[in-house]
Amino acid sequence: MALKYIEEYRDGSLARDLVKKIHSVSKKDLRLMEVCGTHTMSIFRHGIRSVLPRGVTLLSGPGCPVCVTAQKDIDAFVEFARVKNVIVTTFGDLIRVPGSSSSLGKEKADGADVRIVYSVFDAVNIARENKDKEVVFCGVGFETTIPTIAASILMGIEGKVDNFSIYSANKLTPPALAALMETDGVEIDGFMLPGHVSVITGTDAYRDTFEKYNIPAVIAGFEPIDILQAILLLIQQNEAGRPALENAYPRAVSDAGNIKAKQIMHQIFEVCNASWRGIGEIPSSGMALKKEYQKFDAAIKFGMDMPDTPEPKGCACGEILMGLKTPEECLLYKKKCTPMTPVGPCMVSSEGSCAAFYRYS
Amino acid sequence: MTEEKILLDHGSGGKASHALFSDMILPLFENSELSKQDDGAILTVDGTRLAFSTDSYVVDPIFFPGGNIGDLAINGTINDISMCGAIPQFISVGLIIEEGLPIKDFQRILEAMATAAKKAGVKIVTGDTKVVPKGKADKIFINTSGIGIIPPDVNVSGSNAKPGDKIIVSGTIADHGITVLSSREGLKFDSDIKTDSAPLNKMVQSIIQSDCDIHVLRDPTRGGLGTTLNEIAAQSNVGITIEESFLPIRGPVQGICELLGFDPLYIANEGKVIAFVPQKDAQKVLEIIQRDEFGKDAVIIGEVIEKDPGKVFLQTVIGGVRIIDMLTGEQLPRIC
Repeated sequence: MALKYIEEYRDGSLARDLVKKIHSVSKKDLRLMEVCGTHTMSIFRHGIRSVLPRGVTLLSGPGCPVCVTAQKDIDAFVEFARVKNVIVTTFGDLIRVPGSSSSLGKEKADGADVRIVYSVFDAVNIARENKDKEVVFCGVGFETTIPTIAASILMGIEGKVDNFSIYSANKLTPPALAALMETDGVEIDGFMLPGHVSVITGTDAYRDTFEKYNIPAVIAGFEPIDILQAILLLIQQNEAGRPALENAYPRAVSDAGNIKAKQIMHQIFEVCNASWRGIGEIPSSGMALKKEYQKFDAAIKFGMDMPDTPEPKGCACGEILMGLKTPEECLLYKKKCTPMTPVGPCMVSSEGSCAAFYRYS
Repeated sequence: MTEEKILLDHGSGGKASHALFSDMILPLFENSELSKQDDGAILTVDGTRLAFSTDSYVVDPIFFPGGNIGDLAINGTINDISMCGAIPQFISVGLIIEEGLPIKDFQRILEAMATAAKKAGVKIVTGDTKVVPKGKADKIFINTSGIGIIPPDVNVSGSNAKPGDKIIVSGTIADHGITVLSSREGLKFDSDIKTDSAPLNKMVQSIIQSDCDIHVLRDPTRGGLGTTLNEIAAQSNVGITIEESFLPIRGPVQGICELLGFDPLYIANEGKVIAFVPQKDAQKVLEIIQRDEFGKDAVIIGEVIEKDPGKVFLQTVIGGVRIIDMLTGEQLPRIC
């Protein structure tokens, strides 16, 4: 069975042609940043770095939701797991992320009821089936995930599921790009913008940031052809000195994005400030439940307010996320910090740049 | 710090499992047979070489498309013995049953075991049954052990890979793991995939009884092809390179992997063999495998190289290179 939209975009000869074009166009040394964990993974999985000109460096930015989750939020998840009669539901990657004192995986081994779900709707169903328990969902995601979390709240209201709540550590992408551009020392010659996020936000969501900073930016899909094409466009824009905001993923992304998803998201959530691991607070980069939906807010329901805790000493996740360091430049990398004994979330999440570097290089 | 505990990760077949074995199990049990770390131990009794292997099965759910925990447990041990180059003869069965398991389910599992043993031509000669209170086990766990005889002149081991060897895989990868996953609660995929669980003893016999040299045989179960190739690269102290475009993967399996973010290289197989064969014999061995009922899709996927010992490389479809490491982190718990 041929897989439409996979085989065409993994075509070997097409890819080799693109690589040739990239080599012929590329003159300057460039630092290009992808801001999506799936891009990071795909770049490694297809060996894309190994076919690029030496002068082109790919940096993995703050695009993996687990990696940008602040230590205090991880600590909150662990605390929920310790509350009697609470079932913590989460996407798989969070299980192994170490908080200040423990991880969800360790709490699970200690007897806590921690369940991996593939969709937030499964968490609502678990709540329906366990009326005598409280079900908390760890909300860690970008614009791609937030609308479904919002829909789960609507599902909870409709089904009168009052033992379900979420802890929102959700984040928005465009403010993070702006924050990066404002950070001293950050040198980026172009952004490969996230395909999935852009399906929801649309190209328009990046216009303000683009106009302010005038930096090459290309929305990319996830197959090797998509990524090579985006890299070629970013190089061409740089070589010609003509930055532009381009959509190289038009089969999925429109200018306006998914209007219905955005509507649901803004019906339930409102923009707030958010803490990003290693970067700190970024204004208007988070999503909190609106007042009228606060009975679904796990933080309020359980009075959970964890103190800000410093990240582990030596962990360079923040600098790596901003492209200031590569994983190899972190003192803990491959020594104290490995996928077996991760110190920071970038080593745990399959989409984290440290884990990807460790696994594939 | 909380006290160190066993985590699911320790049972993944990947890095944590290996660390558990080498740091805790091997130092206490150490002997020359165990230290070889092949799929089974090779024992010499009165001049006859025996292969002895054991495995436990905790798959969830216990019934899945193409099989159940019963035939899985029989085929698994038959294959472990076969990978030592042995002809499996006798099998033991240990059953740990949770109170409340429907008798008709138990009957189905026993029947599957009987059929699998008969098909492979092995006898189930001893066993044990225990029942534990409800909630103290999950439906049924099965342990099987087996013994096989290694014909004279046969010498296969994970430590025998040599530069220049071609690497053959006997068919499509990741079928079992993805089948079990997709039959789990909450993940119903509408597809026709089924487990590849199968006895490989006849296929293995026909290749070891040919006049071809066989260096390594291994079944890439837990941890998948990627982890198994890493084990062999480390045991034989050689490098390995494989071609992504040669990897046989069924469309629906690939599709589910893409959807859920799994890498088929790390997904369990239960009816596949990887054979390392000197180049001069590679084509012939490939054809023998292809003639077997479970080897129709067999292909050569790569070769052994002298440089970068212990490392496994994948030549990607686009002409790039990436390293294939062992599985780290539990990709899918309770798959076998």
